[in-house]
Amino acid sequence: MLDDVDLTCEAGEIHALVGENGAGKSTLAGIAAGELSADAGEVLRDGRIGLVHQHFALIERLCVWENVVLGHEPRRLATIDRETARTFVRQLGERYGLDVDPDALVEDLPVGIRQRVELLRELARNPSILILDEPTAALSPGEVERLFSTIARLTENGVGVLVITHKLDEVFAHAGRVTVLRRGIVVERRPIAEITREQVARAMIGGDIPSIPPHERTNGAVVVRVRELAVPGAIENLSLHIAAGEILGVAGVEGNGQSALADALAGLTPFRGSVERPTAIGIIPQDRLVEAVIPGWSLVENAMLGRERAAAKGSWRIDRAAARAQCTAIVERFDVRTTSIDAPLATLSGGNQQKLVVGRALIDNPAFVIAYNPTRGIDIGATATVHTELLAARNRGAAILLISFELDELFALSDRIVVIARGALRGEFTERRFDRDAIGRLMVNA
Amino acid sequence: MTLSLVLSLLALALVRGTPILLASLGGVLSERAGIVNIALEGEMTAGAFAAALISFFTRDPWIGAIGGVAVGAAVGFALGFAATRWRVDQIVAGMGINLICTGGAAFGLIFVFNQAGVTPQVPAINQALWAMVVLGIVLAAALQWVLSRTPIGLRLRACGENPHAARAAGIDPLAVRLYASAIAGALAGLGGVFLALGELNLYSDGMIAGRGFIALAAVIFGRWTPLGAAGVALIFGLLEALQFALQGNIAWLPSDFLQALPYIAALIALLGASGRYRPPAAEGKPYP
Repeated sequence: MLDDVDLTCEAGEIHALVGENGAGKSTLAGIAAGELSADAGEVLRDGRIGLVHQHFALIERLCVWENVVLGHEPRRLATIDRETARTFVRQLGERYGLDVDPDALVEDLPVGIRQRVELLRELARNPSILILDEPTAALSPGEVERLFSTIARLTENGVGVLVITHKLDEVFAHAGRVTVLRRGIVVERRPIAEITREQVARAMIGGDIPSIPPHERTNGAVVVRVRELAVPGAIENLSLHIAAGEILGVAGVEGNGQSALADALAGLTPFRGSVERPTAIGIIPQDRLVEAVIPGWSLVENAMLGRERAAAKGSWRIDRAAARAQCTAIVERFDVRTTSIDAPLATLSGGNQQKLVVGRALIDNPAFVIAYNPTRGIDIGATATVHTELLAARNRGAAILLISFELDELFALSDRIVVIARGALRGEFTERRFDRDAIGRLMVNA
Repeated sequence: MTLSLVLSLLALALVRGTPILLASLGGVLSERAGIVNIALEGEMTAGAFAAALISFFTRDPWIGAIGGVAVGAAVGFALGFAATRWRVDQIVAGMGINLICTGGAAFGLIFVFNQAGVTPQVPAINQALWAMVVLGIVLAAALQWVLSRTPIGLRLRACGENPHAARAAGIDPLAVRLYASAIAGALAGLGGVFLALGELNLYSDGMIAGRGFIALAAVIFGRWTPLGAAGVALIFGLLEALQFALQGNIAWLPSDFLQALPYIAALIALLGASGRYRPPAAEGKPYP
């Protein structure tokens, strides 16, 4: 996983650790924080190293203060001194700009606030170094700003912050130094002033970045028409349409009705209103491991999921040879890197798993594609493959609904962008005239 | 219905409900720590049999009672050990323990006393019956307080919700689960002692009669809280008491049906509860 890696993080600095998925960043973070052990080498810590995980490790059914003081509870005789705990959380929050209601139940909190709780929990233990693993993966632009202002306060207080990310914008806006990890080896380490974005990107993937083919605007007929869609508790009176050969981007902060919209269009949830769409549909679900694949199954079996008919012989028997041929076709066309198509999918990196999911959705040339965060958590190379294939599908005449929490992704791919907030569309941007500030405002204020 | 009849019915309800209550407290404790406890039945059986056996040989019912609790704890420890150190599926381990305990007790009867089905009469602690009823209710309140107010309670709940987060906070989820399971076994064992030495003065095959599983229903219906489980356990006790009171008084109702009443009630309660109540998030999942 890691080979002869050395890394330092100094008091008061922001050090960015970048690399593609599977490069070993999270492993390195776990070793540094003492959660994992290394086969060789040593970790020298001057004080405590706190680690904020990518997938927050909070206890959902405990409240905020319980999560923060767990393991070092303030006591009054034999009981927990709740008032002291609440005050402690409030004061810590004020000091670092992380205000949270100490009595809120974690499961009721949105993602951005949960991250504050996780930060508070680590800060409560006075770390000298704080490691943040992909801290902005699920945050809105405003929340990202807020997070980095908190990080700035930390460094002012002498805490060293190691940020693991693959978003180069953030690296160049905030970090003092950058270390690039590729396949478990440090390939680059420099002060940020002495390196360019292109150099970092090339170091990450070990070559040139694949370029995205240009748009070819085709004016097709409208094939997807949604009128006055309503899903109780999630969407109210939403109407939209998508033409053949068009990518409609949906911008919004997580939890504003995107999931209900995707599920309603996919036929996975009951709804009111009318949805006209082609029956041939390809779906790239939002959560790969939950909705898209069965990790213990082989690539062949996963490639068949949801399209078993395509490999059926007669009306009921699966044609193993055809299934294998189709899987091979997906693996080759979508550049899925694997030792064997019979290997369990779980043995692949996240990016390669996702390429299989995307390939499965697109291989039969569906007239309509729902892509929900199609590149979430995958590396630059895999992202480029996914983007290229989505555009290729569009150029072949597919109507594509692209729901993404990444504005950059929406800007790069969409022909039109609508903004969703609190279950309704709040604005539309056409003809590729996308205004980042206006979209960001609509996402949060509406 | 006269007042004295109502009072005697309620008294009987407390007596019938207490062994279920004690076992359900054990169930709450181990499940809140993350271990599914379907072994309550076996732990009660082990406690009851061991109590009668030890009381028979020592002629001291108090040593028998303590021995019953200790054996219950040992069985709970075994479940905890299998579930944490060996990562055995907790349902399978619990089922195995139930089979070993009921089968072991039946075998023990023949092996030790050379008679099937029942031990000879042994010295008992019938005079302490009401003290044990009160002890059960006090334990429920105490456990409620420990779980909600103390550091160890918070840590135990953390292990049942997200052992990884607990680990990150410096807690050893395996140890917490192991000891919670052992204490749960002790409580269920005490329930068995109550039946064998408190109410009666012997152990007989089938005397637990599914009370461990009813206690499990009380855990769920009581939403995994000690006071909730205790309340439900006492309601089951009331149903059992009603069955005694009604037996022979309603000609057209077969007594078999009355005997089945508590079990039917448990089933209906579980049907109503399923889906509405959420168990601890990490319950039944091996760690790491």
